[in-house]
Amino acid sequence: MNAVVATEARTAPLVSVERLTKDFPIRLGGLIATRASLRAVDDLSLAIYPGETLGLVGESGCGKTTVGRLILRLLEPTAGRIRFDGEDITHRSEPQMRPLRQHIQVIFQDPFSSLNPRMRVRDVIGEPLRNLGMRRNEIEQRVAELMGIVGLPAEYMTRYPHAFSGGQRQRIGIARALAVRPRFIICDEAVSALDVSIQAQILNLLADIQRQFSLTLLFISHNLGVVRHVSHRIAVMYLGQMVELATEQALFTRPLHPYTQALISAVPEPDPEIQSRRIALQGEIPSPIAPPPGCRFHTRCPKAEERCRSTEPVIREVEPGRFVRCHFPG
Amino acid sequence: MTVQSVRLPQGTLGRLWHSEFAVRFRRNRNAMIGSVIVLFVVLVAFFAPVLAPYSYEETDLLATWAAPSADHLLGGDQLGRDILSRLIVGARVSLLVAISVLTITLSIGILLGMIAGYFGGWTDALIMRVVDVIFAFPELIFAILVAAVLGPSKLTVIISLSIVWWPGVARLTRSLVLQLRSELYVDAAIACGTRPFTILFRHLLPNIVAPLIVRASIGVGFLIMAEATLSFLGIGVQEPEPSWGGMIRDGLVGLRTDPYLALFGSMALGLTIIGFNLLGDGMRDLLDPKIRDR
Repeated sequence: MNAVVATEARTAPLVSVERLTKDFPIRLGGLIATRASLRAVDDLSLAIYPGETLGLVGESGCGKTTVGRLILRLLEPTAGRIRFDGEDITHRSEPQMRPLRQHIQVIFQDPFSSLNPRMRVRDVIGEPLRNLGMRRNEIEQRVAELMGIVGLPAEYMTRYPHAFSGGQRQRIGIARALAVRPRFIICDEAVSALDVSIQAQILNLLADIQRQFSLTLLFISHNLGVVRHVSHRIAVMYLGQMVELATEQALFTRPLHPYTQALISAVPEPDPEIQSRRIALQGEIPSPIAPPPGCRFHTRCPKAEERCRSTEPVIREVEPGRFVRCHFPG
Repeated sequence: MTVQSVRLPQGTLGRLWHSEFAVRFRRNRNAMIGSVIVLFVVLVAFFAPVLAPYSYEETDLLATWAAPSADHLLGGDQLGRDILSRLIVGARVSLLVAISVLTITLSIGILLGMIAGYFGGWTDALIMRVVDVIFAFPELIFAILVAAVLGPSKLTVIISLSIVWWPGVARLTRSLVLQLRSELYVDAAIACGTRPFTILFRHLLPNIVAPLIVRASIGVGFLIMAEATLSFLGIGVQEPEPSWGGMIRDGLVGLRTDPYLALFGSMALGLTIIGFNLLGDGMRDLLDPKIRDR
């Protein structure tokens, strides 16, 4: 996709997070339980502009889902700010959030757990409408319309979720997210649980819908190939921190952070002519309970030097709109 | 099996008869035997005035401690009252108490359990500490305490059993809700602006009814037993109104020479409890998805 939207739309961001941090308290077992905390998201700042898709990638456990849940206010942030349409929503109580919920929707990863097994599709998709006080026959009409948009026959609306396949369930989830004409949708691993062939269908559906309703999307995934397909800009996360943020084109042609470079080298290329230089990362992702000192990536970084082991790099704007957290970018 | 070959006319009743659940229900021996016994007891209680050959308070001096005979099919009690008639009318008391207590405890227990499990925090702590306190007392002590305040009566039995029994329901409900709390559809509901109590009743309750039904049907047996115990001790149903527990108590004095009163009272009680327990066991098998797939 083109990067024009992102650069042209440099107006006010629709969603922005500033220095967002989330600690989870944990209890370490043992004879005497000790309290510790796990920093799932560390000092993360980013802005999402109207009409764009921002991809958020990283290994599992890097905190990307937590970011989504924080923006949705399903979790309380430990520090930092969340703004929606210029308004600070960080400390809004649940009743205060409710009027805003209409504008911020979510599509979850697991199409099985995200639909209540005891509710008919009509009631699942109609739930946000019901919350807005819409009447029953209006809801039914709108649900039929929405099912048309996501490519499901409207006569299925009286069925229960178990009668549908994974891809169809994900379409139901999308229809629910679209029901109240939101401005912003968080897609949390929205296609990861699906077969590859179905993934493509759902991704195309999301792209269509975004164009049709001029939506802003935050697309969270561990799959760089999928993220590339849908995103205008991409943020890369590692161990709770954002390590790089760039347009899709810039990121793939010239990744600056060694972690991004390694990720991109791991994306499978269908063309055997292309010589792939795979950068194999050594070791496992360190525990977020005790992150390594200095740069968090230095334990696995092929370029790590003494400075990386001692001093934590700050995230800086190396080019306009391009951020990287590395002492030796490029 | 022969039951399955019965063809019912099409329509709602026919669909219900041939539904997957009904077919599996008929194949489950526990559920079938249990439901037949329960149905029998319920019908007896319902039609008690028609079925009872004598009035439950009518005394017949000649039938005092009588053995079963053509006149008195199950014999007579210490005042010459017809045991069969008193058993039939006693079924009403047993079921009335059990169903009243069940209704009260399920309403309170489910509501408080859901609130505790869903909201957590101090609400949870408060409700669960109350539950713990009630659990700490033996149930009979509680019932005797309530009886001391209110005086012995049917209402006393209902109130004291309700106090003793709702914490169990609340605990079960809370644990079921805690399991569901992390389901994504709950997050999805919050994210689309659904209010907490709507989430409780529209999303969570329908997903926990199955284990609660099992708990309730096994509970009926327990409650009938508890009512009999309290009536046995004289706290519950008062003369001349018959209750199975009271009849067993009255029969105990003559157990060696004239065992019929205690014997038939115990049989009625035992059969009913077995019926409800079998039904509950069967329901648990039928409603448990892990067993269902076998």
